[in-house]
Amino acid sequence: MADRALPRTAALACVLRFNFLGKQKRREERERGAEDGVRPRVNTFSPEGRLFQVEYAIEAIKLGSTAIGLKTKDGVVLAVEKRVTSPLLEPSSVEKIMEIDEHIGCAMSGLIADARTLVEHAFRVETQNHRFSYGEPMTRESSTQAICDLALRFGEGDEESMSRPFGVSLLIAGHDENGPSLYYTDPSGTFWQCNAKAIGSGSEGADSSLQEQYNKELTLQEAETIALSILKQVMEEKVTPNNVDIAKVAPKYHLYTPAEVEAVIARL
Amino acid sequence: MSRRGDWVYENNGGTCVAIAGADYCVVAADTRLSVGYSILTRDHSKICDLADKCVLASSGFQGDIKALHKNLAARELLYQHQHNKRMSCPAMAQLLSNTLYYKRFFPYYAFNVLGGLDSEGKGCVFTYDAVGSYERTGYSAQGTGSTLIMPVLDNQLKSPSPLLLPARDAVTPLSESEAIDLVKDVFASATERDIYTGDKLEIVVINKAGTKREYIELRKD
Repeated sequence: MADRALPRTAALACVLRFNFLGKQKRREERERGAEDGVRPRVNTFSPEGRLFQVEYAIEAIKLGSTAIGLKTKDGVVLAVEKRVTSPLLEPSSVEKIMEIDEHIGCAMSGLIADARTLVEHAFRVETQNHRFSYGEPMTRESSTQAICDLALRFGEGDEESMSRPFGVSLLIAGHDENGPSLYYTDPSGTFWQCNAKAIGSGSEGADSSLQEQYNKELTLQEAETIALSILKQVMEEKVTPNNVDIAKVAPKYHLYTPAEVEAVIARL
Repeated sequence: MSRRGDWVYENNGGTCVAIAGADYCVVAADTRLSVGYSILTRDHSKICDLADKCVLASSGFQGDIKALHKNLAARELLYQHQHNKRMSCPAMAQLLSNTLYYKRFFPYYAFNVLGGLDSEGKGCVFTYDAVGSYERTGYSAQGTGSTLIMPVLDNQLKSPSPLLLPARDAVTPLSESEAIDLVKDVFASATERDIYTGDKLEIVVINKAGTKREYIELRKD
């Protein structure tokens, strides 16, 4: 116990000192703010009326791994490319599709660490709070709105907010009394309801393939095959059960086992 | 009543009853407001319409009851705006329980009975204690006359035990008009012996057509 305590206290002391220095620096910067008119602040508009940080965040997602979602009348299918960069990496530890509640799952693309925070603090906590207060599952639109409320909480000077936007896009698959639904969110805090969507590096090619292949009468099985075949088109490596993840919400969330993924691959 | 200077509650008396049917719910309460041996008014409603299929009747300290009803009505409105739908009766039941327990160490002096239709259209009654412990039942009585009324309701409506297998529904086999007549009868009896119950009976009937209100005269002594 004692030998672990010492380095930990030292680390804590460093962090505190660093924070304190940061606070000083920020205060000075704020005081200088009046002269600093050219460079736009993180959460203020540019002269042309754009929020640069948000746009840059959207660019960051174009580097992320591809994720595809398709909605059918029986449920919603999500498929992600895991992007296992080394054979030494444990594939099951790469989690890019997460369960939010029994009836909601989400796939992420972009800065995965940001996605984890967003999913954990905004999504999961909000849906469980709702269950606690009202004894019922949260509607999918309200839960998506809860996430998007958090997306724009960034800025300077305020201790509570982040210093930059979340660099993550989510595909939220849900099922409630109004049936299945797929929502797409981006760093600007907007969300759209979609029938099918692809996000990440392969999104442009994938989106046009989806437009050609999607129709409202698809069964869940057909949707799985389409999602995986499009993923195969945009991925560089060959599709194996270890480098993709599939999940469905129909009506409950279910992450496919490697055997089930293998079955879908066999149908390609 | 206690003579301590710090006693902040008061019991304004009154009784509330609710009975759940297969596709209706009857919620009733008397309209007398008392303090000590005096009557403050003969015409005070203890019933609050929270959502279109959800009605709350409370007896106890009216100061706390008014605050509780206001709190819940505001929460329901917020819910409506946030989630684009009205609160269901079971959701309101959970919310009421949490609201009461929030003040576990300075409770609302309110004895509540929540009645309405659940999301399938079946009648439901939820009965509470002052700190939020609740149960879905087929019928319930709370307030000063509850000890007089509950045994009669048990006799007429006793539901099968919740421990039975296969599980049996807690709704009564009575029809809507039979349930209303039963409510009128039990209140008439309670009025005879409970000094805090009387004056007028307000009956609210909720079914799929909507909510209907009726007033029956009770003994005024």
